[in-house]
Amino acid sequence: MTTLGLEAVRRPGTVLGWATIIGIVAFVAFPIAVLAWSLVDPSTNVWAELWRTRLPGMIIDTVTLLLAVVLGAVILGTGLAWLVSAHAFRGRRIIGWLLVTPLAIPGYVGGFVWLDTLSSVVGARGVRSLWLCAAVLVLSLYPYVYLFARAAFADQGADTLAAARSLGASPIATFFKVSLPAARPSIAAGAALVAMEVLTDIGTVRLFNVSTIADGVMRVWFGTGDRGAATELAGALTGAALVLIAIERLSRRGVRRSRRAAEATMTPRVLSLPAQTFAIATSVVVLAIAVGVPLVRLVGWSVESVRNNTAVTVAGGVGHHAFNTLLMTALAAVVCIVLGIVLAIMVAHRGRVAHALGRLSTVGYAMPGPVVAVGAVVTLAAIDRRSWLPDGFLLVGSVAGLVFALVVRFFAVGYQGVEASLDRVPPAAVESARVLGAGPLRTSLSVELPAARFGILAAAALLSVDIIKELPITLLLRPFGVDTLSVWVWQATSESLWAQAAVPSLIMVAVGMVAVGALLVALERGAEVIS
Amino acid sequence: MPQNSVLKKTLTALSLTAFVSGLAACGGSNNTADGTSTVTVYTGRHYGIETVFEEFTAETGIEVRFTTGSDPELRERLAAEGANTPADLVMTADAANIALAAEAGLLSPVDSEILTGAIPEALRAADNTWFSLSRRLRVIMTSSERVTTPPTTYAEVGDPQWKGRLCLRPSTHPYTQSLVAGLINTVGADTTRTIVDSWVANDPLYINSDTDILKAIQAGDCDVALANHYYLGRLLGETPNFPVTITWPEQSGVGAHLNVSAAAVTANAPNRAAAVKLLEWLVSKGQKTFSDANNEYPADPTVEPGEIIAGFGTFKSDEASVRELGRRNAEAVTLLSEAKYE
Repeated sequence: MTTLGLEAVRRPGTVLGWATIIGIVAFVAFPIAVLAWSLVDPSTNVWAELWRTRLPGMIIDTVTLLLAVVLGAVILGTGLAWLVSAHAFRGRRIIGWLLVTPLAIPGYVGGFVWLDTLSSVVGARGVRSLWLCAAVLVLSLYPYVYLFARAAFADQGADTLAAARSLGASPIATFFKVSLPAARPSIAAGAALVAMEVLTDIGTVRLFNVSTIADGVMRVWFGTGDRGAATELAGALTGAALVLIAIERLSRRGVRRSRRAAEATMTPRVLSLPAQTFAIATSVVVLAIAVGVPLVRLVGWSVESVRNNTAVTVAGGVGHHAFNTLLMTALAAVVCIVLGIVLAIMVAHRGRVAHALGRLSTVGYAMPGPVVAVGAVVTLAAIDRRSWLPDGFLLVGSVAGLVFALVVRFFAVGYQGVEASLDRVPPAAVESARVLGAGPLRTSLSVELPAARFGILAAAALLSVDIIKELPITLLLRPFGVDTLSVWVWQATSESLWAQAAVPSLIMVAVGMVAVGALLVALERGAEVIS
Repeated sequence: MPQNSVLKKTLTALSLTAFVSGLAACGGSNNTADGTSTVTVYTGRHYGIETVFEEFTAETGIEVRFTTGSDPELRERLAAEGANTPADLVMTADAANIALAAEAGLLSPVDSEILTGAIPEALRAADNTWFSLSRRLRVIMTSSERVTTPPTTYAEVGDPQWKGRLCLRPSTHPYTQSLVAGLINTVGADTTRTIVDSWVANDPLYINSDTDILKAIQAGDCDVALANHYYLGRLLGETPNFPVTITWPEQSGVGAHLNVSAAAVTANAPNRAAAVKLLEWLVSKGQKTFSDANNEYPADPTVEPGEIIAGFGTFKSDEASVRELGRRNAEAVTLLSEAKYE
């Protein structure tokens, strides 16, 4: 098979391929579909009541928060990425790394730290504001934009920028007229992740009394016991998220690697001493606020709770919780990545329908965690009732059940990461392999996957950061005696025992930092491989 | 293309392996081989339960394994599991959630003289599907330093003199919902709406934590609040001079809003005998430890409350509403929404 015509791409004999695509998508989207079933028979009276009471406020709060956080994260993330990517100053490399670390601090941990810290400054009333909530979310989510923007800037060719400069463009004009437009799709991808996190957040918004739609889903569900209405509301939320994904996709359309393989990457501009000081000071301030303050408070509380002997829970010590967090994260991440690779490869050469199916698999990421948790319980329990598994084995409350639900929730992060890194493999390499007679699958396995390995590792790390922080699914589906760090944090914070929550929070941040470290290594190596 | 088909198979196998390895990872299956020695508990109450369970195990030899979570989510799980549930006993932190579980047919009645003898009729289901374990009162809390004449009824909390000085818990929380459900039950929906409107008109500061509400009074962010009594008990245990005063509301009327933590044997309990045993133990020998662990009043009125809360004095409480809280919950949520209570 040496032609690269249409026949080659749309080869017959792909029943197995389609079956795999449909199988994986059904696997990860089924729990959502189960809940979506209630949409067939809409509960109009609840909607009428919602319209009359809370829904307009919820929509306003959700949209305001979303815009504020996305805008904040884009400005902060892109700005810092440009600062680090395009400029040479002392400590640039280490600062470049450290700026990713806020990712390891969950929004709800940053939330209670800032709530407590700022209460003494602006008062308990002043601290409960949408804008502070947005600020806390920006600080924990901007690294998504930062990472994508840095990757995009790193990919911009030196020649292009030099051309702009030689035509008399100032550094600032070069940024706005050349670099920023070229990096826009990547920034949009980061912003889409930020938007998803904001839309599905419950822990942080509740701390600051922000009534978003995700919060409303829980309110309707657990307040009135009306699962149908809650699901419909969640469905509306997912619809909004899917629109965001579509916008992000559209903005990516037609954009391919702008730099030729042989072209060198941009050379950072050496800054003058005052400018260096400014660059370093800016980064240090951001880091101090995003990471420094939370760490200082957590360490202080930890010391206090260790002294008062309240740091240990009965269900095993620190090791037990940390081990379970690591185990669940590793299992769920591996399943996500493996399924993600299979799906991405199967979808890659199959046109629009396959791509649309692929999109469908990401729906769990657009749902609030508790909704996915209950969807997974309903699905798994239905399987359990049919006694398909031997020895009376039950999926609900098993490690497999928990891992499944986590995969449903976070599959999108793995899948999109894998897909993006496969996209970035130089087309020339793929074409050569095909010309030399390798079929699409063989090309994928022996050319694309190895070339994309660091991108895939980065996706796995990004995914792990998310799973480490996850709470509602783990809480509802964990097996007996399997407690994770996030469960421990919840047990303390649900009683407002901030000091007692500090030790597990601190360890969770440490574990998250390891994942962030892996992410950074993967990105560095990945950049080398690509360039 | 033989090689391609091999690759395809490999890929398919890979996707299967991912699934199967997920399954195989469940080495530690939870089914107890020895059905008589372990009782499984789903509990929405998680503060200080370990000690009680340990004492029970020490005395009876029956192991207790439990999972914590939020009441409604655990109820969803119990409902989904149906006959397969591993849960023998359900414990909730509020009366509405246990009543809703009973209504959904998830619980089963227990005919036991120990239970009916210890727990007053109003504090258990009419058909004995659930039993209260401890009492928690939602009371008026005021600053000891700044408030000389605290309000004495829930309606007085809405008095304009407290405008901008009131702290309340958001309506997402079951404690707020149950309080309003109790009011609807005693004074009717219209009067309740007037009361809730007057609270909202006072521009309350909503804080989603009773502990933080009391700390907000201490810090001067508000002077008057509604909170559960044991949070003050807990803070007084740490700081004996904590500057918050408790006022029992409605003492010339039906009494303070009473909620309970409750327990029930599930409809499909794999180990019903042990579940009944644990339940009986919780209302007898375990009553004091269970209640004291969280500074609550024992459901059995003959058991003495802990020292700190005994200092709060005697009071009258609205026992008659306890059974109605579940039934009235949805109505309360709607009323709160319409009143624009946050």
